[in-house]
Amino acid sequence: MDVSQLIPMSEAIPVHWGWFKFFLILTFVVHLLFMNAMLGGGIIALASSVESRFKNRVLAKETGAILPFIIAFTVNTGVAPFLFVQVLYSPFIYTSSVLMAVYWLSLVGMLLTAYYSAYIFDYRFDRPGSVFFIAVSVILMLVIGFLFTNNMTLMISPEQWTRYFDNPDGTILNFAEPSLIPRYLHFVISSVAIGGLFQAIVKKFKDRKTGNDSKADIENGMKWFTFATLIQIPVGIWFFMALPQEIRRMFMGQDTLGTILFMSGLVGTVLSLISGFYTRVAACTGWTIATIAIMVLMRDMIRDALIAPYFTVSSLKVTPGYSSLILFLAVLFIGIALVVYMLKLAYVPAEEEGS
Amino acid sequence: MNYPVWELYSTGGGLLMVIIAVVHVYVAHFAVGGGLFLVLTEMKGYRENSSDILDFTKKHSRFFMLLSVVFGSVTGVGIWFIISLISPDATSTLTHHFVFIWAAEWVCFGCEIIAIFVYYYRFGKMNRKAHLKIGWLYFLFAWLSLFFVNGIIAFMLTPGEWPETGNMWDGFFNPTMLPSLFFRTALSLVLAGIFGFVTAVFIKKTEFRETMIRYCAKWLILPFVFMMIFAFWYFKALPDAPRAMVMGRSPELIPVVKIFMWFLPLLFIGSLAMAIRMPGSVKKPAAFVILAIGLVYMGAFEWIREASRRPYLIYGHTWSNSIRVWEEEYLNKNGLLQTAKWIKNREIKDDNMLEAGREIFKIECISCHSVGGPLNDILPLTSRYSILGMDSQLNGQGKINDYMPQFMGTSEERMTLARFIVQGLHGKKDTKASADMQNLPVKIPMENPVKIPEFDEEKSEYVLLAWSDSGMYTIPDSKQFHGMGPEGNNLFAQLIRRGETPEIVTEDVELTYKDSGQKKLQNLQITYDKTLNGTMELNQDLMAFAAESIPVRPYKDDGSFNPYPVFTIEARSKTDGKILGKTRVVAPVSTEMGCNNCHGGKWRAKGSGGISDQTSNDILTVHDRISRTNLLDMAQKGRSIDCSSCHSDSISGAEGQSERLNLSASIHGFHANYLTEKDGDACHLCHPSSPDGNTRFFRGIHKSLDMDCINCHGKMEDLALSLLVAEKQAGKKSADRLMKYLSPQAVQNIDQVSPRKPWINEPDCLNCHVDFQPPETDESEINMWTKNREQLFHMRTGEAGIMCQACHGSSHAVYPTANFLDKDRDNIQPMQYQKNQYPIGANKNCKVCHTIDMEEEIHHPNMLNMFRNSEL
Repeated sequence: MDVSQLIPMSEAIPVHWGWFKFFLILTFVVHLLFMNAMLGGGIIALASSVESRFKNRVLAKETGAILPFIIAFTVNTGVAPFLFVQVLYSPFIYTSSVLMAVYWLSLVGMLLTAYYSAYIFDYRFDRPGSVFFIAVSVILMLVIGFLFTNNMTLMISPEQWTRYFDNPDGTILNFAEPSLIPRYLHFVISSVAIGGLFQAIVKKFKDRKTGNDSKADIENGMKWFTFATLIQIPVGIWFFMALPQEIRRMFMGQDTLGTILFMSGLVGTVLSLISGFYTRVAACTGWTIATIAIMVLMRDMIRDALIAPYFTVSSLKVTPGYSSLILFLAVLFIGIALVVYMLKLAYVPAEEEGS
Repeated sequence: MNYPVWELYSTGGGLLMVIIAVVHVYVAHFAVGGGLFLVLTEMKGYRENSSDILDFTKKHSRFFMLLSVVFGSVTGVGIWFIISLISPDATSTLTHHFVFIWAAEWVCFGCEIIAIFVYYYRFGKMNRKAHLKIGWLYFLFAWLSLFFVNGIIAFMLTPGEWPETGNMWDGFFNPTMLPSLFFRTALSLVLAGIFGFVTAVFIKKTEFRETMIRYCAKWLILPFVFMMIFAFWYFKALPDAPRAMVMGRSPELIPVVKIFMWFLPLLFIGSLAMAIRMPGSVKKPAAFVILAIGLVYMGAFEWIREASRRPYLIYGHTWSNSIRVWEEEYLNKNGLLQTAKWIKNREIKDDNMLEAGREIFKIECISCHSVGGPLNDILPLTSRYSILGMDSQLNGQGKINDYMPQFMGTSEERMTLARFIVQGLHGKKDTKASADMQNLPVKIPMENPVKIPEFDEEKSEYVLLAWSDSGMYTIPDSKQFHGMGPEGNNLFAQLIRRGETPEIVTEDVELTYKDSGQKKLQNLQITYDKTLNGTMELNQDLMAFAAESIPVRPYKDDGSFNPYPVFTIEARSKTDGKILGKTRVVAPVSTEMGCNNCHGGKWRAKGSGGISDQTSNDILTVHDRISRTNLLDMAQKGRSIDCSSCHSDSISGAEGQSERLNLSASIHGFHANYLTEKDGDACHLCHPSSPDGNTRFFRGIHKSLDMDCINCHGKMEDLALSLLVAEKQAGKKSADRLMKYLSPQAVQNIDQVSPRKPWINEPDCLNCHVDFQPPETDESEINMWTKNREQLFHMRTGEAGIMCQACHGSSHAVYPTANFLDKDRDNIQPMQYQKNQYPIGANKNCKVCHTIDMEEEIHHPNMLNMFRNSEL
């Protein structure tokens, strides 16, 4: 069967595709940071709760208290890239979602359970058995991550889509994709690293506010980061080698931008590792965000390259509707300003009552 | 059609959609109204300097946060997921056209989250005014979220000018956007009160608990009044078609609207009852009951809104099955299987019919129908159909019952889908309509061959000609449910005194009729007020004797079926009682009306004919549903009515109701929508003319010449349109509904259709037999009708007063006939008087009456030529 015949038609977009690409990458980077902090934080909270050398009830409690916020922002920041990816890649994302519909929809229930479980872990932390809830949360997050990896790879593997004709029940997973497992592990391990870094960042902020010195906790967080990043090196190589040869070549000299990004990513990783070893939280954070942004760009290049035989975003027809973009930008800026305003209000002390 | 279809057979995508959407929408509205509730209650706490109220507010804000931020946000994502899985095409349209509206809503949602986190976690720890500002900002963001999403949801129902302009703003600010926004805002405030109960009933201090419960109850009253006003505004803003759906055109909506209407006062009264002092042990469960009532109410509202959009997902743009409106014409021409992307069986072959049908099914049907599931289960809806019946149903779908889209694809694909539903889903083996008739061979007791009465060409003084004025009387045999006009056969006779100048005898003679073979019918629950023997009355105008409405039936006590009972006609002298002439004649009658092809059920009488109770039940159910009547209920209470009591019937003279279509226009007009492109088969499905049926009433010379019903009557579409156009011209508005999807086949456009009244304006024999000459064509000129009743074949006479049917036989049984049960059963008189099957006097056999050969064509031109089709 000619796979190209299966590719659904796309619809016109209201502004140049570059806008959507920009918003997609920007919001995905933000989402990824929250998602990594959420999953990594959950894993660290779980590890710190169980009987092992990782046991650290204070860390578990603090992480557990933050986790519901992080989940909320992960979900919220996930909505935007999900929206923009639908606009740019609707023929692919909708198709792959339908092929694995059962798993894809079950994700909603799992996310809800993980979310409430995290709240219960926070509210019942001091009661016996609370570890069960963080365990449930983390396990479900890991499953959700796996399903996302499946969908994101399935959407760029149209040659796998013909399996639908033998299985239209929505239970297709992309196990045939060689990069599935290393890609998934790459994200999970990266989450652990970011989770550790996040611990350190939170402690730094608290110390600045309270004047305490949480050096040990910060070092502990950075250890998680560096350890996980070190593991990431072989996993990253596995992931890279699992990619099709033409994709690898794209990052190894054949494509200038790809090669620059790849090299920059490696440099960013090394620099973030070095910052991690030296417990330089701010520098490490900066290098890590930069590296993640580079990785997201590389990921985007891989996606476009793999579906290039069937579709390019530049082929999307534009039916101009810039006024709606202006509305969005206005709402976005006003929203950000009001968020800043609210955060300022939040710390107007109660003592000022009546003043 | 563009995307693969998730084959959710038993669950059905609709159910998943309903579950996720209803719970999300319930919480999402609470998230709006609840925001205002929080900030106003907090203000009340400050105003009254009540730490109890502030504690209550804080507790409620935690409940609010856990519900709206967690459940609300995740189920909101869930809606995105499920709509993109069930209707990716429509979802794609919404994301592409409104991407920045969604994005703006996303910003508001993010701000909501931050606001409610600050509100709850900083409650009591920050400046009060600042805290209240946070509360107000939360409400603002939440309401703006509603504002943005509401515009898009309203767009799906009423896209306004967007289809023409393509301008996103035209779609967003659509005709129901504002009423919907106001209604939802008021509803969200009502929900705030309802959810407030849940927190209030857990307050430990009794007095304070009662105070706060009453406070929550007050939240319901004012918004409730506004909600009602806005609901009315919303309803009035709906275009006619969606409003008609809500008002009952969609059978899916009837129970939901009832729930909506019943739960509204229930919610109001229940909430007010909460204000009555009761123990906490009562109020706790009561609060949750009200919460559940609210959920049902909300669910009913959303269901009504969704279903009023039928048959579209996006009104006028995307059909319910995700096919785009503009794709329909292309699909009908080129085929669905050739056009849709995710198709394996592009060609329909003998060995892949069910597979191909399954593929069509999943594209056209599965988005709304489950298979054996709890929602819109297609199995009970289609269980009654044969393949032909199913195909007819699919053909008419979306035309009169416009809550479903029409079938889109070729007629071959439609039949393939019908086959899949009947054979693939129901596992039926039959491939023919009326299968049980085929499986139960009918015992037809009759003399075979029929006995031909004697006639002495030399000595007999009279020729007695007799005929039934109709080639077949069809009766439904279901009077306990519905009658269809007068029942009974009309026999006519003319007595001719033979001689060189023969004479029609009308004086001093008595003509009688007598059932030759039928016995009393005792066990078929049929009672008669007339016997089957009697005297014929003289009709002076026609110079013929007639016995009208003879209650002849095709059954016998033993259940055997005989649609061609023979009567004996005798003419006696009134003076001496001497028999002047004697002949026999068939009084054709059948109950083989194929209603069960589409309405289900078996034949009433042992696989031979008659409309069974089950079939009648369905007929009335459909009539009640479409025409908003209660005929089934009336029938079940023993008050069945005749169709002609509402629908005038010129054959019986029933006047019906003046605003209703006449019976023939109504029945043919309705069913024509289901039976297009079927040529003669369309007739055979209902009338006892099927070539493999038990009656096969079309049995005259024209049948032997391989003609079909449509040669004279036209195709179903033309036949129906001629009747409907006349009704429309008579000012009957309901004709439009039936005509909307009917295209004339014989002429270019509707303006060329010649209107006619049933049983008055009928095909004229002389259309083809111009001036009684051999026809140049076997296709009657459709739209040329007899001008009045007197021109009808059964009313006409030749120049000498002999009625046409006296010599030529009944319509549909014109000599020479070939009855499939007994070849000469309808040729009795030609055989009796001429020893052949030709019309009386054919082949220059004038001496049957004249006793000598004639040289002038007295009765009509061309009668002195030899019979042309003698080889048949």
